[in-house]
Amino acid sequence: MKDVQSSHLGREIRVAWAIAVKDMRTYYTQPPAIMFGILFPFALFLSFSIGRNVPLATQIPILVSQTLFFASSSIGPVVIPIERADQTFDRFLTSPVSLLAILMGKTLGGIIYGTGISIIPVLVGMAFFGTQIVNVGAIIACFALSTLAFSALGIMFASIPGQTVGQVMMPLNFVRIPLLFVSGVFTPIAELPQWMQAVTMLSPLTHTVELARYGTGGETFFGPVLNIAILIAYAVAFLFMGIRFHIMNQRKE
Amino acid sequence: MGSAIEAINLTKYYDDLLAVDHINFQVEEGEIFGFLGPNGAGKTTTIRMLTGISRPTDGTATIIGYDIQRQSVSAKEQMGIVPDVSNVYKDLSAWDNLVFTGKLYDMPKAFRESRAEELLKMFGLYERRKEKVKGFSRGMKRRICIAMALMNRSRILFLDEPTSGLDVQSVLIIRDLIRKLNQQRLTIFITTHNIEEASQMCDRVAIINHGKIATIDTPEKLKRTMESLQSVEVAFETTPQNALKDLEQLPQVSEVVKQGDKFKLFTRDPSSVLASTWNYAQNNNLKLITVNTVGPSLEDVFVKLTGIKPATAEEEPEKMGHGKAQRMSGREDQQ
Repeated sequence: MKDVQSSHLGREIRVAWAIAVKDMRTYYTQPPAIMFGILFPFALFLSFSIGRNVPLATQIPILVSQTLFFASSSIGPVVIPIERADQTFDRFLTSPVSLLAILMGKTLGGIIYGTGISIIPVLVGMAFFGTQIVNVGAIIACFALSTLAFSALGIMFASIPGQTVGQVMMPLNFVRIPLLFVSGVFTPIAELPQWMQAVTMLSPLTHTVELARYGTGGETFFGPVLNIAILIAYAVAFLFMGIRFHIMNQRKE
Repeated sequence: MGSAIEAINLTKYYDDLLAVDHINFQVEEGEIFGFLGPNGAGKTTTIRMLTGISRPTDGTATIIGYDIQRQSVSAKEQMGIVPDVSNVYKDLSAWDNLVFTGKLYDMPKAFRESRAEELLKMFGLYERRKEKVKGFSRGMKRRICIAMALMNRSRILFLDEPTSGLDVQSVLIIRDLIRKLNQQRLTIFITTHNIEEASQMCDRVAIINHGKIATIDTPEKLKRTMESLQSVEVAFETTPQNALKDLEQLPQVSEVVKQGDKFKLFTRDPSSVLASTWNYAQNNNLKLITVNTVGPSLEDVFVKLTGIKPATAEEEPEKMGHGKAQRMSGREDQQ
């Protein structure tokens, strides 16, 4: 019985990995993935950073957080509607794997994309702007948990039964853009009124920014333990809701 | 021989719309089973329930004895699916499409690569295996799609409108492939609105309309049961203006349909209609250039059972979100 379960689990993992690799090869260079996953966070960062009298080294964690946020959460909303329109998503539904394995593969695609894109500003910061990683554990936790939570957020929104990227990306941006303003990205959390600090704590992006700052020698308002705990809670919640919504969708099919 | 596919009371509602209405049928192993009906009849909805894409509102379906809902992994291991649209990965090569399908079925590397090679050679695409599929013709994409459905050595192949929209050569190639696959004891479930195709290829056909199965039988038996659909086909050298009305008045003629320069006179008694048509021609100084007695075609049976007139029936979009807009024509790609 145990052998059957472990062989089933192994199969699910192999299939999830195959789906992630296929997504990387097929969709990472698609215009919507580049637009919403790379250009969008860089443009937002530049529009809010240029002209501010702040050292660039302190801005790197913000750029890293934004790329983690936008790149990871963009893959699901790009890939799944395209696959629905091409009916290639049906291939997964008719193959002998669970919906969980399919969505894990899609989530993994977002994690790898978000990690790959967000490493670039870290390396650029270290090479040219004096950014230093003083806490490797915090940076690893920041990358791992943020990409997982935001990729799962994207998969959750991709359950909206649309067949174009815009049908999913528009409602997602209604959530993503306001989050930028309540996450301590542009204004230090300590300077916000108390009620605003409470709102800030509820945003998952806050904890990505905090961990990125903490890992590069900055300060964290809520503390790294709370940052990690809240990111884990969001990752679990987004994964759970994403799976539930996709199951509900399949029932309506 | 056991049942390869069994649908028991299979039902699908989309909100208040009843798309498939408590249908029951069995497909035997090694059979080519045709599922015939106009668009919007419930064909694709049925195939989506049988393949596990869509959940039935009521009823069940089994694939080689496995319940598609409760034992979905085992059931899905037995089948390959070719949907109405060639759902290939256009940005991957032919080879990568097949290999990825093998990965979805968790086939070992050596096995999936040898199977991909075997299928690409069988389908005449091995030389172009490294090319991206987006450069392929529709017929080639269709072949890739069928090859992907066969990667896991499935025992049942579901084909949804396999030749729809293809050129004549591709249609011939795919029909030939389907026959060859069936000779290897593969059970084939084929949905089509092409009546002639169903008549030529299927061991049995089910005719579905408005979500209900109107009849299930072999094409020949269906034709024989419809005696009232026998007809006499005539053409005159010069067609008089009132010919249609005049021919409708002839004794024993139940209906007259004008088909190009010919008239098709439906009757239960072709011999007496032959005689009265001859008299009509003599009395009106008309020269008969064609006279044929014709048994009912599957198309006639289809029209009778569904009440649809092929010349006027516009296809309704399927309640799938993948609506098609083609004209209903049983003979449009007849070879």
